[in-house]
Amino acid sequence: MDFLSPVIAGFGVVFQPENLFYCLLGVTLGMLVGVLPGLGPAATIAVLLPITYNIEPTAAIIMLAGIFYGAQYGGTITSVLLRLPGEASSVVTAIDGHELARQGRAGSALGIAAIGSFIGGTVAVIGLTFVAPLVAGFALDFGPSEYTALALLGILLITTLGTGSPLKSILMATVGLLLATVGQDPLEGASRLTFGVDQLLDGIDFVIVAMGLFGVGEILYNLESLRRPAAPAAAVGSVYPSRAELGQSKGAITRGSVLGFLLGILPGGGATMSSMVAYAVEKRASKEPDRFGKGAIEGVAGPETANNAAATSSFIPLLTLGIPANATMAIMFGALLIQGIAPGPMLVEEKPDLFWGVVNSMYVGNLLLLAMSMPLIGVFVRILRVRAAILAPLTILVTMIGVYTVRMSVFDMFLMVGLGVLGYLMKKVGFEPGPLVLAFVLGGLLESSFRRSMRIFGGDLTGFLTQPITATLLGVIVLIVLAPPALRLSRRNRQKVKA
Amino acid sequence: MRIGVLLAAVALAASACSVQGGSADKSAAAAGYPNKPVEFTVPTDPGGSTDLLTRALAKSIEQPLGVKAVVVNKPGANGKIAGKDVFGSKPDGYRVAVMPQSLFAIGPLMLNDADPVKLTDMTFIKGLAVEDYVLVVPADSKYRTLKDLAGASDVKYGTTGPGTGSQLSQTLLFGLAKTKAAPVPFDGGAPTVTAVLGGKVDAASVQIAEAYKQVQAGKLRALAVFADKRIEAMPDVPTAKESGYDVVVDQRRFIAGPAGLPAEVRDKLAAAVDKAVASPEYNEVLKANYIGRWDADGDAVGTQLNESLKRFEKLAQDLGIDLKAQQ
Amino acid sequence: MTSAEAPVPEPAQVPPAYARRLNVVAALVPLASGVVAAIMSVNLGIGTLPAPGPGMWPLIVSVAMVVAAAVLVLQSRPRGDEERFTKDVVVVAIAAASLVAYAFLFELVGFEVPTVALLVLWLKGLGRESWRLTAVVSIVATAALYLLFITALGVSLPHIIAL
Repeated sequence: MDFLSPVIAGFGVVFQPENLFYCLLGVTLGMLVGVLPGLGPAATIAVLLPITYNIEPTAAIIMLAGIFYGAQYGGTITSVLLRLPGEASSVVTAIDGHELARQGRAGSALGIAAIGSFIGGTVAVIGLTFVAPLVAGFALDFGPSEYTALALLGILLITTLGTGSPLKSILMATVGLLLATVGQDPLEGASRLTFGVDQLLDGIDFVIVAMGLFGVGEILYNLESLRRPAAPAAAVGSVYPSRAELGQSKGAITRGSVLGFLLGILPGGGATMSSMVAYAVEKRASKEPDRFGKGAIEGVAGPETANNAAATSSFIPLLTLGIPANATMAIMFGALLIQGIAPGPMLVEEKPDLFWGVVNSMYVGNLLLLAMSMPLIGVFVRILRVRAAILAPLTILVTMIGVYTVRMSVFDMFLMVGLGVLGYLMKKVGFEPGPLVLAFVLGGLLESSFRRSMRIFGGDLTGFLTQPITATLLGVIVLIVLAPPALRLSRRNRQKVKA
Repeated sequence: MRIGVLLAAVALAASACSVQGGSADKSAAAAGYPNKPVEFTVPTDPGGSTDLLTRALAKSIEQPLGVKAVVVNKPGANGKIAGKDVFGSKPDGYRVAVMPQSLFAIGPLMLNDADPVKLTDMTFIKGLAVEDYVLVVPADSKYRTLKDLAGASDVKYGTTGPGTGSQLSQTLLFGLAKTKAAPVPFDGGAPTVTAVLGGKVDAASVQIAEAYKQVQAGKLRALAVFADKRIEAMPDVPTAKESGYDVVVDQRRFIAGPAGLPAEVRDKLAAAVDKAVASPEYNEVLKANYIGRWDADGDAVGTQLNESLKRFEKLAQDLGIDLKAQQ
Repeated sequence: MTSAEAPVPEPAQVPPAYARRLNVVAALVPLASGVVAAIMSVNLGIGTLPAPGPGMWPLIVSVAMVVAAAVLVLQSRPRGDEERFTKDVVVVAIAAASLVAYAFLFELVGFEVPTVALLVLWLKGLGRESWRLTAVVSIVATAALYLLFITALGVSLPHIIAL
């Protein structure tokens, strides 16, 4: 039991009152900033860094980690209630989650999301405890060519997400891909489609696109009906998910946990990909795929479970390889450095107390989040009872200020209003923002990975097939594209045989 | 009608009060500087070494300066966004920025920019830090020395982005060695190191802190540092110069305000920075990131930037490399 | 809880000819944008497949966009998710303009005055709430935003009231 003794000792570290306190503080703060659009966990952790100088390292990291995964819980709330996805990983939640809220089932959506998040997070911590060293190499196996295939797969999934015509989804996805090219060329630094505006050199921030198209667009759209006689407000139903809804979500939560854990290990975009893939998988696994987009509880359970599992497993590359997988992890890396600890391949051996203390604190943190969010759901759902005329300006203000805080830029506010008007127009003519926003997220990854691959392969497209993981992923893509027509064909043949 | 009243109220408020915070601190510079918070703009996202460095500096400078110091992140375009913003504001000493040498000494050589931040846009206040680059290969690489790598027939090397010291150091190295080599630019240090660890590229030049732990753990092998002499953190690693390739590239950070900053304000800030960089917090960050201190006064900063630019330009010319085509 | 289909306000019936026109316009806008983007991409330099230039990827994407939009122009039959533009558009335009003005004033005069002004406009002007409620909500909300962002979270918003 050599392996388990430091793990158990880690629990001793967690249950020190001081560490428990910082864990609670971290997850509470995380939930708060998760609810605020724009202000993400990365910025919060950066602001809090100087404070952590005076805290004992383990406690400091426990708190910062809590902020990170706590924010994943908070992000769901605005996605469901106000259709404001603050993080790329909660964009797909907005699709069915907000639809559920409109039907008076916000409580169910939030409840399922909280339960799914708890299970996903916990499964991922267990994975982190027992298989981290085994799966860490997975992160290194993914180079440019693998990401190219993964992003392609993601874009293919996007076009199946919408409820309307696939062609409209494809058009929206191309708009998203085009928006993603705005700014400096990732490989050569040439400025593209910036119209000479310096503020566009670094591209458009995801938050601006998501908030503009979803949040502001939705509010502008609803203004039209503000002056009409109020439509009967959807009754806010039970605050907790029913037994039937729990049953419906069981499979989604299980699949989401595994998917999220595995994809979260990949540096860059793991959490976003995991929630998208989870949604697509649920839609395909469902016997009634038509319900998706119209308020399917599995469409909330799957992605929410997956993004929390991914948030947790994204600690694996940082703690075991010393590679920060995303912006927040990069700051955690900095925080560890300040504390005199260099995260790297030797961290487990050098600082077992810190390593296992932080890992085990995530069990406690997830439990705290579940315990906190279940009663809070009742409070949050009450937001929906506020008259639209009052809720709309308050939401829009928080959104405007939130977007400003991303880069301290007024230009970003203008941009978001512009995208908001676009979102309004899109809604009027039946285009959905989901495919656009998700394609926008993946666009940068796809282009830069593809071009890096081409440089590595010396311009030879067949190079992609020489990489085992890439080739496998490309095979999956071909299967997804060919499977439906092939199935139709075989069904027709079978009918012919019968006839 | 209502709007008219509103506008009047706004105008009144604007004339009566001064706006604090944000990025447009345009209040009049009063005598007795400083009498309100000083804003330090960081040209990167939160969390990187520059950000940590500035936050430590801001924390330690509050006491000598006697007012609060606020850190604002304005990332983008290797510092251009922050530079354009801060150096376009009023030179009153309430808004200063931490700037990278690469924006002025490397960017102009490698990128086409019609409207760059110019040296004359700034008043240099103080040098802050100097970081070195190290060339690493995967631990199982067949290249054991710099000579092996330079003699290879086809090298794919990772860089941390266009217009960076990482790109320049390797372009010059492989140019000197006449190696057939193709750059693969990544987005920053972490993805570059990941690609080397995974064997996706043959080699990469990154800042010391980004590779140090991996080298120590035996996952990466350091072939050379692009410094003038061997560096303290990696005493066993030879310089590129020792191996016969005279390539010295480093990254420096300095603090600057808009052009036309009054001399007293500049001196007050410089004196406060001097006190702040002696603080334990600041030195802790330097040590943890293997960053060296750069004790240069304002004028020396300007000289250094000019010299680096000229040196890199000449090196490239001597080699007959068109840096703009080398991306 | 089980009554899943809550009443959703039905949009006014859109005449088919109107919907068709709407669909054509809605597809022509991305079509035109795609053409412009394609031209800009070509000017950036396409490069070759082994050494793609900065313009190649944007070109691929904008061509895909043009193709998708062109097919949509041809398939312009009404789908039922189109909505008529009524004179309510004016409300939306005012709201959007107020947001632009808000952003414009934000750094110029600090966030407090524009925030109160925006709330008054939306609550009283667009929402037709009572003056009393308008006053209370605008002032309390502005104070709450101040406390949340500036005092509690230490974000450097432009402000004129120093605490």
